[in-house]
Amino acid sequence: MNALKVPARTIALFVLPCLLLYVCLVFVPIFFSIYTSTFDWNGIGAKKFVGLDNYIRLFTKDAVFWPAVRHTLMFAVFSMVEIPFALYIATLINRFVKKPNFFVTSYFVPVILSVVIIGQLWKTIYNPASLGGMLNQVLDGLGLHSWTRSWLSDKTAAMYALYFVALWQYLGYHLLIQFTGIQNIPSEIYEAAKIDGADGFKADRYITFPLVVPIFKISIILAFIGSLQSFDMIMVMTGGGPGHSTDVIATHMYNMSFLSSKFGYGSSIAMVLVAVCLVATVIINALFNQVERKIS
Amino acid sequence: MRTSLKWMSLAVAAGLMVSLTACGNKDKDNTTSTDNGSASTGKAENVTITFQNIYPDPNTPLYKVLHQISEQYMKDHPNVKIEYDSLDTDQQKLKLKTQAASKEVPDITMVNPAAQMKDFVDAGLLAPLNDMIDKNGLKDTFQKGILDYYSFNNNVYALPDGNNIGVMFYNKKMFQQAGITAPPTTFDDLIADVKALKAKGITPMVTGEKDTWTGSFLFMNILLRTNNGPGFLSDVAAGKKTFNDPAFVDAVDSLEKLVQAGAFQDGATSMDYNAGETFFKSGKAAMYYMGTWATGAIDQSEAGADIGVFKFPTVNGKGNSDDYMLAPGSAFAISANSKHLQETKDFLNYFMLQYPKVSFELKNAVSVAQKVDGDFKAAGYSSLQMEVAALKAAVKGGDLSFDNTMNPATSQTHLTSIQNLFVQQVDPKSVAQEHQSAFEANK
Repeated sequence: MNALKVPARTIALFVLPCLLLYVCLVFVPIFFSIYTSTFDWNGIGAKKFVGLDNYIRLFTKDAVFWPAVRHTLMFAVFSMVEIPFALYIATLINRFVKKPNFFVTSYFVPVILSVVIIGQLWKTIYNPASLGGMLNQVLDGLGLHSWTRSWLSDKTAAMYALYFVALWQYLGYHLLIQFTGIQNIPSEIYEAAKIDGADGFKADRYITFPLVVPIFKISIILAFIGSLQSFDMIMVMTGGGPGHSTDVIATHMYNMSFLSSKFGYGSSIAMVLVAVCLVATVIINALFNQVERKIS
Repeated sequence: MRTSLKWMSLAVAAGLMVSLTACGNKDKDNTTSTDNGSASTGKAENVTITFQNIYPDPNTPLYKVLHQISEQYMKDHPNVKIEYDSLDTDQQKLKLKTQAASKEVPDITMVNPAAQMKDFVDAGLLAPLNDMIDKNGLKDTFQKGILDYYSFNNNVYALPDGNNIGVMFYNKKMFQQAGITAPPTTFDDLIADVKALKAKGITPMVTGEKDTWTGSFLFMNILLRTNNGPGFLSDVAAGKKTFNDPAFVDAVDSLEKLVQAGAFQDGATSMDYNAGETFFKSGKAAMYYMGTWATGAIDQSEAGADIGVFKFPTVNGKGNSDDYMLAPGSAFAISANSKHLQETKDFLNYFMLQYPKVSFELKNAVSVAQKVDGDFKAAGYSSLQMEVAALKAAVKGGDLSFDNTMNPATSQTHLTSIQNLFVQQVDPKSVAQEHQSAFEANK
């Protein structure tokens, strides 16, 4: 760590400003949330200390919480499953497309768009046929009338409809990351492999995939944590409804804190979310360290 | 390595100290500067009043009224500058709550009556306005009893922008197309009409149920009938009844019948309030249950000329159709910590005195909470406006909406529970039980 033989206090001096900012912006709010999560508090008036009651109620009595956790984890699983797919497209583009910038950029467009716009766009696509919903009209046109439904107002379909939009939006993001990762692999390796007779799929299997694992890991972690925090798109499209069927942890936290005026309770949900994020990151990291050791 | 770690932990500790004391100091600084501010003003020095409001749309009469009065005041008082903070209803609620948590409520803000403003009053964030409404006879301009919804411990804390009731707007042309001669007076008639409209390919009713209060407002009107009169929620709050009461179960059952009859547009739960109203205003649905605050906007819309209103019908032979869902409007309140408390009070006093007059000129006085001088008909108010005024004149009694009566946590359970009825058929008894459990858990 200290290869330059710089005195420790100099390092501290340079680290301090950024560290202070980081502590102020990240740790202070987290500690404040831990503190408020032990109160029965409406966010405005007097606080009443209740210890761990909020957590106990959350885990044992809250009928919305566990389904919300399930939705969140499903969200995470789906967005992680998407990444190998993104990697696959990235290798294809890398191998077959001469000037790939246009392709990658077009995949990336949805990522730049504001979530509110995406939400409104997909809302009109998902609309019931009577309101001109595109998806339903297409299904009707294909003679699949029995498949049509009001996607966002159907208790079982709504959550999947939302997953799909998120996957659609972030495909380009992960594609770009994977693609950059692949491009950074030196071409000499491929040339050498070619001489040894490893070409096409073989080259992918023995060169591209092992070398892109660290990038892959970053994508997985980003996808996982991003989907745990998913909130805005759901708020725009369904607001957690109908009847809680699309609530995730973050929307549940928002509803509790701001609509039900239970700030303390909302904070305890937030703390659970933080804990899940931390634990998940540690687990994913450990898993990948094993995988990396095996592959290389 | 060791030393650097030690330094790091020292730095972290120091950082925490600094940030914590910084946070602690902030409040103190604020209060002292507020004190200085109120002490040194009083002369005609420049004053900026922040006016948070829920009228962001320049096309609506409410926006025009607010801006016309404020601009006139600024002309008369060159030292006063009014700064608008115009937001959507939901955004404003959220922003105000966040501001309230750090005790930085804008000089003038808007709150909802009764239970919804109680938290703010209890936290001492709003200034009592008793002295202000006695000035220039402002108090007497308000309709009798309306200020009670904004009063706690004999102090008035906010002044309403309107006084509304829940009515059914309907499209006369579409009713004719479906061969319906008169608006329904019983719930069975209503369901028959729904079926007749549907048979003609017309969407019978529209609701913006993504914003859950819309369906709840309609549901509460059904409950007002099945309960044979007002007071169900206050009876529950007082422990005289429970949500398992037959009146409540019947109301759930009736709403489900309406949903099953196909009354509402497809995908009702993903359409928000604004989109729902636009749907009706552009003549795509035959009925729309809403508060009379929508009258002005509906009147001036595409379908405006075809629109009429009718009283909500009786349900299972119960209830009085002159009982209404009462919706005392959103109300202007003043921050107790305002730097320019006196100037703000003076402005709001002027504002509310002008409010009925300017609203009348801008053809939006039918739902004002104050007494209006002038003849609506002579001033060219439309037949829809006159119909609404006639209904309002005959109001016998009624109930406030659920979220104005119950605490926020119980209200939220209620709102999603009702939203669920729009997409799923549920045993009414279990809906009732869900309400009762939420009520007991959040007492």
